[in-house]
Formats: sequence, C-alpha cells, structure tokens
Amino acid sequence: MRAAVGFRLRLALFFVATLVTVQLVTAALVYGVTRRALVTEGERQLAVNAQAFVAQMDDLSARVAGNVEVMALDYALRSAIAERDHGTVFSVLRNHGRRVGASRMQLVGLDGVVEVDTADVRASGQRFAFPDLAEHAFDRRTAAVVSLQAKAYWVVVVPIYAPQPVGLVVVYVPLDDALLAHLRELSALPGDIELAVRPGVSGWVAAAQGLKHAGLVASLAGQALPMRPAVRSIKGREYLVLAQPLSQARSSAPVVAVLGYSLGDALRPFRAVVIAWAILLGLGLAVGLIGAWLTARSVSRPVESLAGAARRIEAGDYRALPRLDRRDELGQLAAAFAAMADAVRQREEHIRQQALHDQVTDLPNRVAAEAAIDRARDAGTTHGALLMVGLTRAPDIIKTMGHSLYDRLMREVGARVGRVAASAQLARATDTQFVAWLPGADRTEAVASALRILDALNAPYVEADVSIDTLPALGIAMYPEDGTMASVLLRHGEVAQFAATGSTRPLAFYDAATDPHRTERLSLMGELREALDHDRLVLHYQPKLALASRRVDGVEALVRWHHPRRGMVPPQDFIGMAEDTGNIQRLTRWALAAGIAQASRWHARGLELKVAVNLSARDLGEAELPLRIGRLLSIHGLPPGQLTVEITERAVIGEPETAMRVLKGLADLGVGIAVDDFGVGQSAFAYLRHLPVSELKIDQTFVRHLARDANDQTIVRSIVELGHRLGFQVTAEGVEDRGALEQLAAIGCDHAQGFFIARPLPAAELAGFSFERAGIA
Amino acid sequence: MRWRVMVAWLLAGSAGPLWAGQLVVRISDAGGHAVGDAVVMVTPATPASTPPVAPVTRYVDQRDETFIPYVQVVRPGDRVVFRNSDGTRHHVYSFSEAKAFEFLLRPGESSPPLALDKPGLVAVGCNIHDHMIAYLLVSPEQAQVTPSQGQVAFEHLPPGVYTVTVWHPQLRPGLAQPREIRTLGAGEEVQQVDFTLSLIPDPRGFADREHLDY
Repeated sequence: MRAAVGFRLRLALFFVATLVTVQLVTAALVYGVTRRALVTEGERQLAVNAQAFVAQMDDLSARVAGNVEVMALDYALRSAIAERDHGTVFSVLRNHGRRVGASRMQLVGLDGVVEVDTADVRASGQRFAFPDLAEHAFDRRTAAVVSLQAKAYWVVVVPIYAPQPVGLVVVYVPLDDALLAHLRELSALPGDIELAVRPGVSGWVAAAQGLKHAGLVASLAGQALPMRPAVRSIKGREYLVLAQPLSQARSSAPVVAVLGYSLGDALRPFRAVVIAWAILLGLGLAVGLIGAWLTARSVSRPVESLAGAARRIEAGDYRALPRLDRRDELGQLAAAFAAMADAVRQREEHIRQQALHDQVTDLPNRVAAEAAIDRARDAGTTHGALLMVGLTRAPDIIKTMGHSLYDRLMREVGARVGRVAASAQLARATDTQFVAWLPGADRTEAVASALRILDALNAPYVEADVSIDTLPALGIAMYPEDGTMASVLLRHGEVAQFAATGSTRPLAFYDAATDPHRTERLSLMGELREALDHDRLVLHYQPKLALASRRVDGVEALVRWHHPRRGMVPPQDFIGMAEDTGNIQRLTRWALAAGIAQASRWHARGLELKVAVNLSARDLGEAELPLRIGRLLSIHGLPPGQLTVEITERAVIGEPETAMRVLKGLADLGVGIAVDDFGVGQSAFAYLRHLPVSELKIDQTFVRHLARDANDQTIVRSIVELGHRLGFQVTAEGVEDRGALEQLAAIGCDHAQGFFIARPLPAAELAGFSFERAGIA
Repeated sequence: MRWRVMVAWLLAGSAGPLWAGQLVVRISDAGGHAVGDAVVMVTPATPASTPPVAPVTRYVDQRDETFIPYVQVVRPGDRVVFRNSDGTRHHVYSFSEAKAFEFLLRPGESSPPLALDKPGLVAVGCNIHDHMIAYLLVSPEQAQVTPSQGQVAFEHLPPGVYTVTVWHPQLRPGLAQPREIRTLGAGEEVQQVDFTLSLIPDPRGFADREHLDY
C-alpha cells in the first residue's frame, strides 16, 4: 500500500512540480518583462509629467500675469500708483491677489524697494527679496519658485506701466498641497508630486504634497534626490522617483519638484491578470492532480491488488486471485501471477503430500502420525494406545531380496495392518516400522488389536517364487501413562518393539524400568565425560594370585566412579552405557593411561605387578590402539610384558579383521592378551586358534561353586588343560572360598582372582597388601 | 599747472565762439543696433548765456491709435496741443510729476494748448488704448531725438566741458541715466560719443506685449 501511495504521490508530485515550475518561470519572466516595461513607461511618464509640471507652472505664470496686467490697466490703480497712494494700492492688490489665488502681493518700485506688501505691512521700504527676478521683469515673463519659511511659492513679477514703467507687481501663489493635488489629478500620474525645499544644509523637506500619504520626500530624507528616474523604496513600496528642478530665484533656498511613479500602482491593472493566472494555475493544478491521481490509480490499483494477492499467497491463501480484464502489461502480469500461484499451489500440495506421506505405502509418515496424535491429545483424547509394528528381519530381507521387493512387501504389510486395525490411524514410522494409533483404547483393546495385527502378519508374504516370513514384533506404548507427547510415545513404542524383538514373545508393553534408552542415561554420559575430563574416576586393582608361588604377581584394573551426587556408581551402570553411547573409547583411553602410569610406578619401585586393563569391542575397532599403547608404554618406561589387555570373545566377533590386526599389533608389542569371561557366551575355539592370546580367564560361573560341583571341576580342569595345551596361561575368576582356591591349585590353574583373595583395592592399599598377604594359604 | 591752463582755456572758450567743436553721439542697443527715439542732451559745464527763445506750440497728433511723435523734446514754457486725428475717442492722460493732465478728445478734436513749464518727463498715455504712449521731455538743454539711424550731431559747440546725457523710453528702470563728460578743445574738433543702452522691450502696442509673452 505504502509503495503504491508513494508511486501515486510521486507521479502527482512530479506533475504538480513540473506545472508549478513552468508556471512560476513563466510568471517570473512575464513579471520581469512587465516590470521592465513598466519602469521604462514610468521613466517616460515621469519625464513627461516633469515637463508638464513645468508647463503648468508656465500656465500659472501666464494666468497670473494676465490677471495682474488687467489689474494694472485699471486707471484708478495706475493713478494711485503714480500718485503713491499706497492705501489704495494695498487694497487693490489684495483684492486682485484673491482673484488670482495669490497669498501675497507686493508692489516694488523701480528702485527695488518694496512699496506695498499685502502680507506684511512692515515689509514696505525694505528691498525686494529676489532682485534677480525684478531685474528681468521688463524683458521677459519672470516667474520662479521661491522658498519662504519652508513653504514654496510661485512668484510672478509683472511690470506696471502708467504708461511708462512705474513699478513691479509681485504675485506670490502658494504651491500648497491643494495645488499639487490638483496638478497630480491633471497629470494622471500613478504616483505623487511633491515639492521639496532645502532650507538649510540639513536636507530636503517636503513643502507640499499632492497626496498626504505618499511621503516621497520624507522617505528620501537624507538622500540625494535623483535627477534621473531611479527606483526608490518609499514606505515599503517601489517608486520611480525623479526630481525636477524648477526655475527659481537665486536668493531662494533650493526647491525641486519630486515626482514619484508608483510601480505598485502601475502594476495594479495587471493584478487582474495575476489573479486570472493564479486561478488558471490553481485549476490546472487541481485538474492535473486529479488526472495524475486517476492515472496513477489505474496503474497502482492493479499493482496493489497484485501485491495483496502476493501477500495472501505468502500466507498460503491461493484463492481469489485478481483477474484483470486488461490487455496491457498489467493484464499480462496478472495472468502470469495467477499461473504462478496455481503452480505454487500444486507444488505445495505435492510437497505437503510428500512431507506427510510415505511414497511406498501411501500411508501417512511419522511426522503426520505425530501431528495426528498431538492433535488428538489437544482435542481432548483422554487415553489411547500406540502400537509400533516392526519387521525384525527387514535388514536381511533388503540385503537378500532388494529394495523393490521390500517396498512391495511393506505395501502388503501396510495393507494387512490397515485391514485388521480399521479403527487405528496407521502410519509408516520408519523404513521398517509401522505405527498404529488407537485413540481411546485401553490395554485390553490394545492387546487385542496387537494380536490381530500379528496374526495378519504371521502369514508369509508370497510373491511369484518367493515366500517371506516377516517375523513381526510389536511394541505398545500407552497414552498417557507412557508419554503425553507423540514423539515420546513413538520412542517408547519403539523401545517396547525392540524389547519384543529380542524376546520370545512378539509383543511387549513399554516398561520404563527396563528402558535402556532413558534420557537420564544421556545426562550420566555427559557427567562421565566431565568426570573423565576432571579425572574424577579412579582405578581399583584386584590382585591375581599366582597359585604356584602363592604370590600376587598381577592385578586387574577396574574403573570406579565416585559421583559427587550419586555416590559410588557401579561399573555395570555406566560401562555398558558408555559402550552404547560411544564413550567407551575415552574411558578405555583413560584407564590405559592411568593403569600404565600406576604399573610404571610399581615397576619403578621394584614391584613386579602385571596390570590388566579391560578393552571393549569398540576399542578393538580402533586401528591406532597398538600405536597408542606403545607410545604410553615408552612414555612411562614400562616393559610391555607388564601390561595385559583383557578382551571378551564377543569383542572379537564384532569386527574380526580389524580386531585381529589390533590384537596382533598388541601381541607384537609384547603386551599380554587375556580372553575374559571364557566359557560363557559364544565361545569360538576357531578364533582362539588365530588369536595371539596369552591368557584365558575362566568365567566366574564355573569357579564360584568349584569346591562342591564336580561338573564345574571337570569344565575348569578341561579349560585349564586346553589352555595349557594351546600355550596360554589360565586364570580363574570369582574365587570366593578356600575350597575353590585349593581345587584350582590342584587342577594346576596358574592364577586365581576373587573376593577370597582380595577385593579390588585402591593402589595405595594394594602396595601394602601385596607384601603382607604375599603368602596367602 | 594743468588746472590753470584748463581754466584759462575755458575762459578763452567762453570768450566767443571763434572756434566751434562738434559732438557726434551714436546710440546703439546691447545688440549693436542703432537706437532711435533716444533723447541726447548736451549740457555745458558752464551755462552759456543763451538768448531766450520764444515759446512754441508743439503738437502731438493721434493717428492710427498712435501718438506722433513718440518722443519729443520741448523747452520749458512751450505749449503742447493733443490733436485727435483718429475716428475714435482718445483719453489722453499723464500722471507725471512734471505735468499731470487728462483730456477726453473726440475724433477731430484738439486739446487746449497745455503749457509745460517744469522741466522733466511727461509720459502720456491713452486710457482707452493702452498701447498708445508718448513722451514729452521738457528740458532747457540742447537736446535732440535720434532718428532711426541712432546718431545725432551737436555742432558749433564752443570749447568746454560737456555732459552728454541720454534718455530713452525703454531705458531699463532703476538704472542710473547714462551720461558722458567730454571736453571740447579749440578748433574744429569732432568728438564722437557712443552709448550702448540696455533697453527693455517697447511697451507700446499689444503686438509687442504679446511678443513678450505677457
């Protein structure tokens, strides 16, 4: 959505920005041109108006002069003047002064002395203030502007003839605000006309203004007045200003006419254009925005819809894909999108099918089964049974008959189980196992179902010319007793099935007590590793008595583990586990190092004690073992003959080739090799023939009751005889009473080992023991 | 020494017009044009005992709304008669100190003879026709009015010191009257006196005034 808005916004903004830019540039250009034109026009108007102002003053002069002349032609006035009748002259002058708009009239004699002054009686007898005006009054029209008390007057000097020149009438017409306002109106100048006088050196002062508010001169106070049109800022508004010098009396303070041309006022007619332009721009913007919006929407709507569809597909919803009835690129995109979604949906279904189904049997797989069980639990199923059905001979069948037949066999098995356990949810748990989940079933029902399944599978699988016994084994885990989670139930079912595989009954319930795969074992192994790392294990040594000499000349090293919390952990609790979990090699490595080190210490003290260390089947699979033992021996300086390794027959059977090589290597070193627990399990004399064995240790089951049991005596005697014949030393384990010891001595057994002689002892105790009890009898 | 010679010379000159000098006065305006209607007066430093001249009657005619002559020199005691030769009335007047008067003259009518006793200038106007102006200069001295050539000559002047004064109706008011002092020695001496006058425009006639832009 955001991206779509962004696109729409960007498009609209681009359009608007372009429009606005173009319009503003145009406006700026038009404004610049218009303004230049206006300035030019203003300069022209100012020049024209300045001349017009001068012309107006000339007209004023003519009007005043004409009036005064008419006045001067009055016979009575001439008479009064000629006769120096000042009273009459005064009244006539004042009367005429009013007519011509003069504020002051003077009669000046030919000698330049004021004879009559209408404004100031005391002026009579004084010299006329502007003699340069009087000087030329007879030659030409004489009129000029003068400044008196910061006021400006237009002075017209008219000669009086009676009939010869008898004097001059001086008319003062005030150039006041009213007159300038009148002139301004006549001029049609967009601006103002003012008169500025400079009474002192200080600066120009406004003597009169056409407009009260313009204030041209006041705003320019302190500046030089421009004699050519120039742009000035007057009260924040732009004016073209021109100062027009006027003809003036020499003795008067300077007076100029200041004409201002208001650019703002001149621009006013263009304001309508500006408003129209702004409206057009606004309309264009609005239309453009709407258009851009609509255009963008026609693009972004489908894009948004496709994006929404993509998000739905992401969430796994393949419905309601957008259909665009468009022939353009977006239409193609939408079509491709729909095709893609379709393909993705099909592929996902396929993947899900594969993920949750077994391809061979078309049954749900383990993952699906776990999910189903967890769903049932979540749905409130209070109890149930999980049946794990395995084929014990599956690996053999695959090896013998191949995978394709095995697959067909598994399909058949699945079908048979499905037929007899219709109420069960069936799944293929692993390659060799099926799981049947019976929700709501109790033990009885579980057993009934199990027996039906076993029945169904007991019939051999027949195909063409082969007939295969499947040998089913079935484990049962009950929900919720054996676990509430599907994975746990499955594991426990599997454990039970393994238990059934190893027993005579093909059916077993899960028994937590016998579960060799309890999770706590894993923690015990972790702790074992930690104990190894921190050397918390110790070796105890059980003495071996040489029967001939009645001396202890050897010991068997046995691992003891003092667990910080559990106390003494019995070897059977962790050694088997270590074998299962792959930790036995580390344990052996440690035992070898510790045993060899101890042996070398004894050897260094002159004690001739052979040390025997147990090896496991896995140890014999390690080809480097002879090398390592050799290295340990040389490090500790122990003669190889002082070390014996004890192996079981089972260990040799596991990987005979490697085991044989390892044993040969050890024998080559000179290390003694003893076969432990001889006589039980799968005794294979064939191996003995090839093994570089130096000693046989008769299992304690034959020795424990040796004193009383004639059969045992026979067996032991036979083994001793066999061993000796083959060149082996023979040791009897489990000697618990004097009778057995004596029997063994009588038989000719080489060594005896057991509680009667000594329990396994710490190395420190053993040192004393071996000497004290050297002559045990 | 020189003073004594001069006095002796003056005395000699006054003894009798044995030797007469001549003053030629030329009047021009600022533009160098000859000026007519100027009155040139020559006043000897030593008043000559001139024989009394009998008063004469002068005439100032009015024809075509013009006083003829424009400028006229009369001697004190002369009489002047204003004669209306036009078909209109004329209201002849003067406010001059030398002689103030006022006549209303019908067409063809003449004023009674008017005695001009006081030396001075009598400016004469017509109250009906402003452009009509005439001047009568009442002067006891030798005086001549310049013709349009602007030159007059005073002949047979005995040696002596003479003040030459010029008056003109258009002399700029307020200025001192132009004058020159010349000394004529014995013999046929001719001295030329040039005056350049600063004149105001001719106040006669509307045409002229309009020409002046008034």
